[in-house]
This record gives sequence, C-alpha cells and structure tokens, in this order.
Amino acid sequence: MLKVGIVGCGKIADAHAEQIRRIPRCELSGVCDRDPLMAEQLAERFPVKAWHTDLDQFLETVRPDVVHITTPPQSHLPLGLKCLAAGAHILVEKPFTIDAGEARALIDAADRAGRKVTVGHDGQFSPVARRMREMVRRGYIGTPPVHMESYWCYDLSDPTYARALLADKHHWARQLPGGLPHNIINHGVSKVAEFIESDDPDVVAYGFVSPFLRGLGSTDMVDELRVIIAEERGTTAYFTFSTQMRPSLHQFSIYGNRNGITIDEDRRTLIRLPGTGFKSYAEHFLRPLTIAGQYARNSARNVKLFLKNEFHMDDGKYRLFRAFYDSIEHGTPVPIPYREIVLTTHIMDRIFAQVSAAPGRAPAPSGATA
Amino acid sequence: MIAAGMQSQDGHMSEPLPAASPILVTGSKGFVGSVVVRELLQRGFTNIRCFARTPAGNDKLAELGRKFPAARLDVVHGNLLLPDDCRRAADGAVLVYHLAAGTGKSFPGCVLDSAVATRNLLDALAGSQTLKRFVNVGSFSVYSNATLRRGAVLDESCPVERAYTARFDAYAYGKTKQDDVVAEYGAKHGVPYTILRPGVVFGPGRGGSILGRCGIDTFGFFMHVTGRFPIPLTYVDNCAQAIVLAGLAEGIDREVFNIVDDDLPSSSRLLRLTKRNLGRFFSVRVPYPACLAFSCAWEKYAAWSGNQLPPLFNRRMCAAYHKGNRYSNEKLKRLLGWSPAVPMDEALRRYFEYRRTAAAS
Ligand SMILES: NC(=O)c1ccc[n+]([C@@H]2O[C@H](COP(=O)([O-])OP(=O)(O)OC[C@H]3O[C@@H](n4cnc5c(N)ncnc54)[C@H](OP(=O)(O)O)[C@@H]3O)[C@@H](O)[C@H]2O)c1
Repeated sequence: MLKVGIVGCGKIADAHAEQIRRIPRCELSGVCDRDPLMAEQLAERFPVKAWHTDLDQFLETVRPDVVHITTPPQSHLPLGLKCLAAGAHILVEKPFTIDAGEARALIDAADRAGRKVTVGHDGQFSPVARRMREMVRRGYIGTPPVHMESYWCYDLSDPTYARALLADKHHWARQLPGGLPHNIINHGVSKVAEFIESDDPDVVAYGFVSPFLRGLGSTDMVDELRVIIAEERGTTAYFTFSTQMRPSLHQFSIYGNRNGITIDEDRRTLIRLPGTGFKSYAEHFLRPLTIAGQYARNSARNVKLFLKNEFHMDDGKYRLFRAFYDSIEHGTPVPIPYREIVLTTHIMDRIFAQVSAAPGRAPAPSGATA
Repeated sequence: MIAAGMQSQDGHMSEPLPAASPILVTGSKGFVGSVVVRELLQRGFTNIRCFARTPAGNDKLAELGRKFPAARLDVVHGNLLLPDDCRRAADGAVLVYHLAAGTGKSFPGCVLDSAVATRNLLDALAGSQTLKRFVNVGSFSVYSNATLRRGAVLDESCPVERAYTARFDAYAYGKTKQDDVVAEYGAKHGVPYTILRPGVVFGPGRGGSILGRCGIDTFGFFMHVTGRFPIPLTYVDNCAQAIVLAGLAEGIDREVFNIVDDDLPSSSRLLRLTKRNLGRFFSVRVPYPACLAFSCAWEKYAAWSGNQLPPLFNRRMCAAYHKGNRYSNEKLKRLLGWSPAVPMDEALRRYFEYRRTAAAS
C-alpha cells in the first residue's frame, strides 16, 4: 500500500484527495498545512487519520512514499527538496516552479536522491489528450508536426474572483513573475512543449491588459497573451491565453504533413482533419457530413465512458496519479518526461520576460523577438 | 452625544455606548453589511470603520458619508486572511460586526474566507482592552433538521449539522467552522460574542433568486418542492436592525439568535409572487418524498461512482431546504426587543420593484 501525503490544503488539494481515494492501492495517510484550520478541514472531510502543521513532523511521523505538493508555486522548490530529502517521491502542482532554473534544480535533486518527480499537468492525461497522443504515435499526422495551435483561456467574467485578486496585492498568483497567466497557461504550453524537439525554441510574445481588467482599475496585470513558438526543424506553434474571448477555449490542434487533429477539452471531442479531400464538390457536400459523424461518435463515446464510470471531471488527474504511482512501484517511465517539464517552464520564462506592463502606465501592448 | 441605538425599545440595555465609539464592520460593502453601516449611522454612531476587501462599492459608502456628514466613515481596505490587515481593522474597536464571509462553492475557499478570516480577526482582537462585543453573523444553513418532523419549529435549540460530507454544502461548512472558531475564542480568550443566524436575506441590492429554499432550478425548469411550508425570509433592513441591536443589548453574551421576519410567505405563495412580478417560467410541483427519493438515488450514485457526479443532491440537503419547517423569532423579540420595521408585504413589494428596475436597466 503506497502511503500518500498532501502538503498544502487549499482549493486544489481537494481535487487531489478526491482522485487519490479512487486509486485502490494507495492510502491518503496524512495532510499538512501551516494553517491548522485548513489542515483539519481536509483531514476531516476525506477523512484522513493525521493532519499536521509542521512539515518536518509530518514527514517524520507519516513517512509518506509520495507527497503531493499543492502549495503556492513560490514554495515548491524548498518544500520539494525537503520531501525528497525525507525519501519521498513528489508530485508537484503546476506551475512546477517559478522558473526553469528552479525546475532543473528540483529534478536534479530528485535524481540525486533516487526519487521520482512529476508535475500536475493533468490536461495531458484527459481522455482526448491520451487518444490524440496515441494517434500521433501511430503516425496519423505524419512526422514531425508542422504546426500547432493551443488555446488555454480563463473566464474572468465573474468579477468576484477578479476583484479579490486585484484587491490583494499580496496574492501569491500576483507575485508570480507572469502574474495571473503564470498560474494558468501551463496546461496549454505543455501541450506544445510535448511536440517541440529543441530545448531552446524561439518564443515571440505579445501581451496586454484587457479592457475588462482596466475597467476594474488594473493596469499591471497582463491577462491577454499571444505567442509564437518556433524551432529550427520547422515546427511552429501559436499559443493563446485570453480572459475575454468567448467561447473560453481549451483547445489544441496539431498538423503534420499528412493529417491534423483537433482536441477540445471542454467538449471532450477529438476530430480528425484528413489532409486529403474528396474530389471536387464532394469535399463541400460530404466533408461536413463526415465531420458531423465524428462529432456524433464523440458524443456516443462520452456517454459510453460516463456509463462505464470513466468520465470524471478530473479524470486527467486520476490517470496522471496512477501512472506516477506505477512508475514508483513498477519502475515504469515517469508519466511526464523531465525534459517536457523543464521545456514548459522555459517557454513560460521566455514569454514572461517579454510581456510586462509597468504598474500605473497605460497598458501598451508589448512584444519582442526572443 | 448618545447613540440613538441606546434609546431602542427593548429596555435591556444599560450603559449607552458613546456615539463616537469606534465600531468595525467587516463585509461592509456587501449586501447586508452596507445596510448595517447605514443602520448604525441612523442610530447616531459617528465613528465607523468599514472594512472591505476591494475598492468596488466605495460609491455606496461615499453616499452614506454625504447623508451623514457629522459621522466619520473610515473605509479600510484589506484582506482578513492577512494578520496585519486584521490588526489594522481591529485596532481600538469597541464593537465589531463581522459580516465578511466566503460564499463560493469550494470547501477550502469557504473555510478560508469564513473560518480562517474570522480566526485571524479574533487573533487581532483577543486580549483587546476595548472590545465590548463581537457580533458574528452566521447563517441558518448551519442547522440540521434531520431529527425534526415536517412542520416542526426550527429554532436556536436545533442541532448544528455535523455530517459535513453527507450534506456536501461548502457554504454551510465554512459558516459552521466560523461559529466554532468564535465559540472557541469566547471560551479560551474570553472574547464577548453573540451569534446571529439570518435566514434568507432579501431586498434591494440582492441579485439572484430567493427561491433556493422553494425548489430546485438545475434542470432547465423549476421543481417546486417546499409547497405550503414557509420560507425563512428576512428583509435586509429588518435583518440589519437585528444585527445592530445584538451589538448593543446587555446580557446576551454567547447567545445565538435566528433572524426571520413575521408573516413568512409559504413557498407556493413566494413562487406565485415571483412569477407574477418577475415573469412567468415553467415549474412543476414535486412532492417532498419524491424529491427525497431522487436525492437519495443521486447520493448513492455519487458514492458508487466515486463522485463522477458529486453529491450535490443528497438527503440532508433536501431535508434542510425543502422538508418544510416553521420558524421562530421569539428569542430575538424577547431578548433584543426587535420587531421587523418593514412588514413582509411591503418588503416583498420593494424587493420585486428593485428586481424589475434592475432587469430593465
Ligand atoms: N445574504 C443572505 O441571504 C445571507 C443569509 C444568511 C447569512 N448571511 C451572512 O450574512 C453576511 C453578509 O452576507 P451578504 O449577503 O451581505 O454577503 P456578501 O454581499 O457576499 O458580502 C460578504 C462580504 O465579505 C467580504 N469578504 C469575503 N472574504 C473576505 C476576506 N477574506 N477579507 C475581507 N473581506 C472579505 C466580501 O468582499 P468582496 O466583495 O471583496 O468579495 C463581501 O463584501 C455573511 O456572513 C453571510 O454568511 C447572508
């Protein structure tokens, strides 16, 4: 029985605890948070035998095999190092670390300690993301990818959250180098990073403060990003983060030299985009029908998965956690290659280095070539 | 100057609180908090610290400031999750009306903004030489009516819901933890407190529906469940008056008061009035036992499926909202001398008028 612990009992910890308890061969053995009320509430509801407010004491008494680190990202490196030193494997919520330097340091420490590490990029393990990966592996798109488009948006229209974030200058999300998007875009960027070969692709970023946020009095919190990523072998990607566009997309498309694929994480659909068309008018008459057929099959598949009880909201987390635990128990590869973790962080560093709006200044869109 | 609050009709107050006593109101720009501030000003208090998280809503307080030029309205911006902000808020306060709360759907979020925020504020107040009373605004949602029959009276003697996971109500959970924290600080640190638990507060300023206790509005049509039983409404002005009085009355330390108005409308009447005033919509009468059976099935499916569908509908929630109870404000009247200044019919008229105007603009 794998002993699992959680450090950081805030909002995302609930989602972790929920999925951990679905995995039969592990036990949520203890939780830890600096704030006793937060540690207690998680322990009380799931229920977990032990809750702690001191990390050393938690590691000492619970002796977890795996620790899920679900604290604000600023603390991921120091807490991760402590857990590794105590002999635990670590699953670190996104963003993995503040920057790529910290990411490398954490992974190196894990290697030295003979422990494993992964990051909470659960979007990579959603049902459609897994299907897409398998199709790409089988060569459906042709290799290598020619172009990708990744949308990872965030609906800020509920002003309650926006206002709370704006009012609290000390909110940890605001303290991140990239501000609000830093805490959100990881999923969308990691989808691109998975298919980029270079460790240092070109990144061109353009960012600005949306009129909505400006209306709420914010001039320094960039919440619109448009990014181009390119590498020498000819693979390119567009990445979009928006708080304002509707629908608020979570979509990824990948195009090879033969075919393309589009996945939609909100509707949980995967659409094949054949590279060759029907002849003449048939392309106009038949193609829409075949695509409609694909949507119908996606619907049926989703219903089937639901009936089989394999369609949980956080299914990606469940798959990621299981794969990570497998890699610990059976020595299988870690679910997310370390290279992909570092590259995701590196691309984000490059984006945020280019996109900044000075506080108090009119939000001039900024862009620069890396 | 003597605060007008001291001349209230109840006869339970001793030493009047000087009008210039520093009074802290948290959640002061919220729906109820802003009316509490107005009520304090109307009673002649002149030194009110309005604590708020965000600048939005400053205009509401500015308008009050213009109406009561002799009073000092300090707007202090801060977050009760930050101990320093709590110290700034608490400094020298004689009376605290604590209305800030977490109202989201996440359990940790509600615990943070309700319980942790309250604990931080009480930490800043513990040992205070000036504090005379901490008025904690709780909620009706903390009660369990599992052991009550349909139609039985739900009052302050009812047990608090402790089957948190079965009830699956993040807001109620946060408010229960908040009350626990207050009671703990009362016992351990001698903080003088009173807990008020309003029912459904309504009135101008409240967006959204007040039909939550009448039925379920999740599936594209309205399932009306509560039928002939009353809905525990309280008009925002009446509610604010009760809250303010709880800070001024003597001899009510550690007491708990429920706030509901007189002449509560039945669920059927409230639904009828809502349709008539705000526009028709399709509703189906669902008997309570059927709703309970549905909730039971949903709850069991949630457990079986590992929360593929979370247990948003469950027996305890169904009972708390739709079983149908009667409500008492006898304690409030007896110990605080409160009575609802705005009668129910007038209150409903004002509320519907506000909603119609808001919809039109
Ligand atoms: N409305 C009802 O029907 C009802 C019924 C029973 C009990 N109550 C209780 O009555 C009280 C007032 O309710 P309401 O309807 O007026 O709620 P509301 O309009 O949502 O006001 C709550 C206020 O609390 C503030 N707040 C939340 N977290 C905070 C934090 N960490 N630091 C500082 N301020 C924080 C919010 O600030 P932001 O605006 O910045 O978010 C908001 O202004 C609450 O305690 C509620 O539980 C209400």
